[in-house]
Amino acid sequence: MIRVLNLNKSFNGKAVLENISVTFETGKTNLIIGRSGSGKTVLLKSIVGLHEIESGEIWYEDTLFNKLNFAGKKVIRSQMGMLFQGSALFDSLTVEQNVLFPLDMFTDKTPEEKIERINFCLNRVDIINANHLFPSELSGGMKKRVAIARAIALNPKYLFCDEPNSGLDPITAILIDALIKELTEEYSMTTIVNTHDMNSVMEIGEKIIFISEGVKCWEGNKNEILNSDCEILNDFVFANSLAKKLRDSGK
Amino acid sequence: MIKFFTQLGLYFLLLKKVFSKPEKPVLYYKQTINELVNLGFTSVGIIAIISFFMGAVITLQTAYNTENPIYPKYLIGLGCRDSMILEFSSTIAALILAGKVGSNIAAEIGTMRVTEQIDALEIMGVNSASYLILPKIVATLLFNPILTIIAIIVGIFGGWVAGTFSGVMTSENFIYGIQYAFIPYYIVYSLIKTLFFAFIITSVSAFQGYYVNGGSLEVGRASTKAVVYSSVIILLFNVILTQLLLS
Repeated sequence: MIRVLNLNKSFNGKAVLENISVTFETGKTNLIIGRSGSGKTVLLKSIVGLHEIESGEIWYEDTLFNKLNFAGKKVIRSQMGMLFQGSALFDSLTVEQNVLFPLDMFTDKTPEEKIERINFCLNRVDIINANHLFPSELSGGMKKRVAIARAIALNPKYLFCDEPNSGLDPITAILIDALIKELTEEYSMTTIVNTHDMNSVMEIGEKIIFISEGVKCWEGNKNEILNSDCEILNDFVFANSLAKKLRDSGK
Repeated sequence: MIKFFTQLGLYFLLLKKVFSKPEKPVLYYKQTINELVNLGFTSVGIIAIISFFMGAVITLQTAYNTENPIYPKYLIGLGCRDSMILEFSSTIAALILAGKVGSNIAAEIGTMRVTEQIDALEIMGVNSASYLILPKIVATLLFNPILTIIAIIVGIFGGWVAGTFSGVMTSENFIYGIQYAFIPYYIVYSLIKTLFFAFIITSVSAFQGYYVNGGSLEVGRASTKAVVYSSVIILLFNVILTQLLLS
């Protein structure tokens, strides 16, 4: 479980996140949704410690993460996996070497055990016969899946995904969503996903918070989101014409 | 002025991160070997070519500007030797390397920054500054002195080729000249300068890349800044080191 209490963050004096408090639950896919520029990525990066926050608390179970030093954060980070918007695979390394990297850095496994783990992770995300390809030789969807394989290589307790569907076609996007949800349940992880894709919201949104202009405006789940009385949220949810028609027709 | 001191502070903070204890020394060792190849071996060709022609030009220019019979011909060889050892092999070669290696380092690290690869390292708990920059610094500190020696040897050879084949002097005169009044300390002086310049090129360029914010345009700008700042700092330290080491 991850708890965020009264988090504030600003850049050059401009408030980007204001007084955000939320609990992300274990074994669930927690979604942060909002328009582009609403502060979703800043919130996610603040939670993982890539941004220093002005005030507030970030708790990983019973550990106050944002007050830890580098060594303390390193312990928590060894339990984190993150999927970045652009996948962030290491260009100079092959698929196999990308997944091997955290194993090499943080485990004392034998070479055979490492290869076994790499193949397990790659098979788990349906990457077959691509071990020796470089990221530049992969499609967008494959890059995301390899990035997920790298993220789960160390069996993380916490999985963070920043816009996992950006740049993907709808079918591949659904596959990535399904994979994230399956892995969350399989390993009982606390997963936080940043998205503005309503398909993802309706597919995997077990717990959802909606952010607008750096302020948390709504919290609920995928069943409640269609019946909210939050006007800004409704503008977001029913932004496209298909959703509007469905709402107007009462379906 | 405030911006300058802020940048200077950031630079030293980055160095503090770079020189902290490595997570897994064996991985740093492998990375250093890779960097020796990327930053060192791949620079041998350009350094050799430029040194050869610089040695040749220095010899010809000295020859054509000292045609007075008062000056013995062997002084041309001596001039070529001392120019190569004192200035070209360390300073001019460092300026060339600032262009080649410095821009490479800034672009590589800058691209890793804007594509979130550095964030990915940080999330894993890796000290990204140390992992990315320390092997580059170690590799250039180890290899640049070798490049300096190569530059001296090839440059003097270039001088001999130009001097003898153009007929401005005999081979015997040139060889006598490069042995005449040789001061071994000049080699030490040159190597000490090289070590300083190697550190400046790598750390300044890595600093420019590490703190890039934006996209490809900013990476390009960082790459240019890396070359310009490294070159200016090299020239400044050249004066300081020369005063300290030769006075």
